[in-house]
Amino acid sequence: MTQTRGDLVVVRTRRTRGTGARAWAGPLRAVAAAVTAAVLLLAAACQGGDDGKGDAPGVLRVLAGSELADLGPILAQAERDTGVRVQMDYAGTLDGVQRILEGKVDRRYDAIWFSSNRYLSLHPGAQSRLGTAVKTMSSPVVLGVRASVASRLGWDTKRPTWSDIAEAAAERKFTYGMTNPAASNSGFSALVAVAAALSGDGAALQTGTVDEIAPRLESFFTGQILTAGSSGWLSDSYVRRVTQGAAAGPQVDGLVNYESVLLSLNESRRLPERLTLVHPADGVISADYPLTSLADASGDARERHRVLTDYLRRPDVQRRIMTQVHRRPVNPQVRPEARFAEMPPELPFPARLDAVDALIGAYFDRIRRPARTAYVLDVSGSMKGDRLAGLKAALTALTGADASLAGRFQRFHNREEVTLIPFSDAPRETRSFVIPEADPTAELARVRSYTQSLGVGGNTAVYSSVQRAYEVLGRGDDDRFTSIVLMSDGENNRGIALVDFRSWLAAQPAEVRRVPVFPVLFGEAATGEMGELASLTGGRTFDARSQSLEAVFKEIRGYQ
Amino acid sequence: MKRGISLFLAAGLGIAVAIVIVFGDRIGGSGLTTVRGVIGSEKQAFFADPQVRKALERQGLKVDVDPAGSRQIATSVDLGRYDFAFPSSSPAADRIQKDRGITTKYAPFSSPMAIATFQPIVDVLAKAGVVAAGRGGVRTFDVRRYLDLVDKGTRWDQLAGNTAYPVRKNVLVSTTDPRSSNSAAMYLAIAAYAANGGEVVQGAEAEARVLPLLSRLFLDQGYTENTTEGPFEDYLSIGMGKTPLVCVYEAQFVHRAVRGDIKPGMVLTYPSPTVLSKHTLVPLNANGDKVGRLLTSDAGLQRLAARYGFRTAQPDQFAQVAAEQQVPVAADLIDVADPPSYETLERLLRAVEKNYG
Repeated sequence: MTQTRGDLVVVRTRRTRGTGARAWAGPLRAVAAAVTAAVLLLAAACQGGDDGKGDAPGVLRVLAGSELADLGPILAQAERDTGVRVQMDYAGTLDGVQRILEGKVDRRYDAIWFSSNRYLSLHPGAQSRLGTAVKTMSSPVVLGVRASVASRLGWDTKRPTWSDIAEAAAERKFTYGMTNPAASNSGFSALVAVAAALSGDGAALQTGTVDEIAPRLESFFTGQILTAGSSGWLSDSYVRRVTQGAAAGPQVDGLVNYESVLLSLNESRRLPERLTLVHPADGVISADYPLTSLADASGDARERHRVLTDYLRRPDVQRRIMTQVHRRPVNPQVRPEARFAEMPPELPFPARLDAVDALIGAYFDRIRRPARTAYVLDVSGSMKGDRLAGLKAALTALTGADASLAGRFQRFHNREEVTLIPFSDAPRETRSFVIPEADPTAELARVRSYTQSLGVGGNTAVYSSVQRAYEVLGRGDDDRFTSIVLMSDGENNRGIALVDFRSWLAAQPAEVRRVPVFPVLFGEAATGEMGELASLTGGRTFDARSQSLEAVFKEIRGYQ
Repeated sequence: MKRGISLFLAAGLGIAVAIVIVFGDRIGGSGLTTVRGVIGSEKQAFFADPQVRKALERQGLKVDVDPAGSRQIATSVDLGRYDFAFPSSSPAADRIQKDRGITTKYAPFSSPMAIATFQPIVDVLAKAGVVAAGRGGVRTFDVRRYLDLVDKGTRWDQLAGNTAYPVRKNVLVSTTDPRSSNSAAMYLAIAAYAANGGEVVQGAEAEARVLPLLSRLFLDQGYTENTTEGPFEDYLSIGMGKTPLVCVYEAQFVHRAVRGDIKPGMVLTYPSPTVLSKHTLVPLNANGDKVGRLLTSDAGLQRLAARYGFRTAQPDQFAQVAAEQQVPVAADLIDVADPPSYETLERLLRAVEKNYG
């Protein structure tokens, strides 16, 4: 209680100072200020408490891109310096845009903070939902290339163009990892940058241009052999690949990611070989991280937004952001450190939504390596009722039934091979579907109707069924992104145990071992074993206990 | 000892709280009237200036502002929660007045549109006949010749003798979004005049003739931002790579010179012709009206405005600031075009807007 009163007094004292020379207030004001100041000093000394130093103490609720998670220490300091506590929830690129457009952020958040507002702003109606946007820092999407490879290709001495990079990729002289453009902004920006550069035109990308440049994009994406739903996981997978050698997958020569992520990866000492940062000569797309208040935020929240953005743009804070989280400053009074290479030109981001959507669509359905995905699905007795209904809804959403923005780009893509392995006492009949290159509707309908036919009963043979998935996928196919999703709501009580599965997997050839499993934590699933299975195979777990199976299945799409 | 401190504390706190309860309201609350305004972003720094705040506080006002694009202010911003709107042009202000049936307005500052660039770009464009040096080191930007380059889709790397900036991007001035921002509308007014052979665009036939080129000026740039501070900050912090040419208000450039943000090699040019942006305040109630009156009449505030690069009723104030900062400014704006009528401008903007899909 005293604490609260302390805040109150501080605020009042401040206002007193602000009123300036008003004759009547003079002496009285001085006395009041002196007394309160003395009291507060003592109170603070006795309690060691924090008296909320800011002009607008309180919480600023922010929906943010996950790539901002590394700002934790900067924001903790911001709270100490301004009293504004930032509470961040994270969302993927398209998911975030969707939530804003649907008004799902209104009154739940005060501000949004993604790498860029560009794609969002292309949507009709987006602008009226946004308040003030303040750029806080910047980072271009560039290439990080293993030093030896960069030197072999000569990219360490002369900046290649995106066309040079596409050529090296097509000739298999350069392979890389990149995040999924629908899930993560670094992949999204990279896709737009490559398209802008390869179009060979000096103007922004038009819808009609996408077909024309698709073959050139295919060359570039021949080199992409690693994908991920987030920048963080991409870095982790890359580290795994380069430290574990062939067992973890084919050699990866580099990453396409934010300059900041690549700099911090180099600094992390997790890499056996440094990444040379390569800034393509013909240009980049940069994140400018606009911290943007929402139009319906309260007056207090807008004030907190102002206090926080003023703070973040202060020269000393910009310098801290530069040294600690490797972003370039946006305050012209702060000079970028020498380790930041000279900025290449910024490529134009399309002005039209249909151009961007055509590009994303083409990437998934035509350009990138197609996916090969096995779903190992628990249909034991305990899945009866709501759980089975949830599972059916989750799969159905991926067959194009979800017309939302995210749904459109998260469905099973053209050329994708989808295998469903329902199991209970043992793996049941396996069904594979191949979505055709053109007109996917009929095949997607078949996936949907098969899904609807699933019935439940029996026990839970988790690991025998996962083993079956590996057998079905066989030796894999380097031209596809291959992975296994495991969804079970209970503990393994039939078939082989995890320990048996582990020794079986160890005896398999490298091409089999490198297929990751993405276990979904659901119902009474054994959390520990699921985590073990994920790390054993280079996958990761997804939690469907606090959100719907549908949301989780969509999130996993970013990794497939 | 500890107990003694506690007692003293309790007593002290009691007194402090009592003082606050008795006088707090007068001291803190009613002394100042909080006035909220929505303003064109380029005036945000002016309103945030402690001296400006103090000058307003002396008049009993605490002015809180939110920045927004000027055309947004006229169209999409909910004005219900503001006491005044202060867009950066008279057409936007006219629209607010018309929509809300308000007859008062104040135009305390003005600023011509300018194009900020860099010395290497000046050299390249001088060879192409676009930029020329005029009286007193003032540089002019020939809009007609620039439009010829845009019309042909000329890229930087196609300009003769360009070794300084051989970039594979079209020669284009960076602007804001014409759908929401005033500076883009002003830029469109300039380009429309030049594209129409040096005459104010009037009538459907002339509109149709200039429209395709005007659309390209914006759409070929790709995505653009809503507030003029956006691309200008890119110019200041990222530099030539992103924004070799940026359309700004002269005031923005002069003010940044005052702040020390203009580095050697950054050059201000004047489009020929240019247009004048009249920052116009529309009061939405009596408190907003007070702000408008003060900005127009208070000598101190006018002097401060000049430090923000605005041309006020006293031209010598602005001239002095520019001279101190060694920014060559056009003392007398000669080649100033009249913007098209409000209706024509809106029709052109809406036609450009359609091309965004």
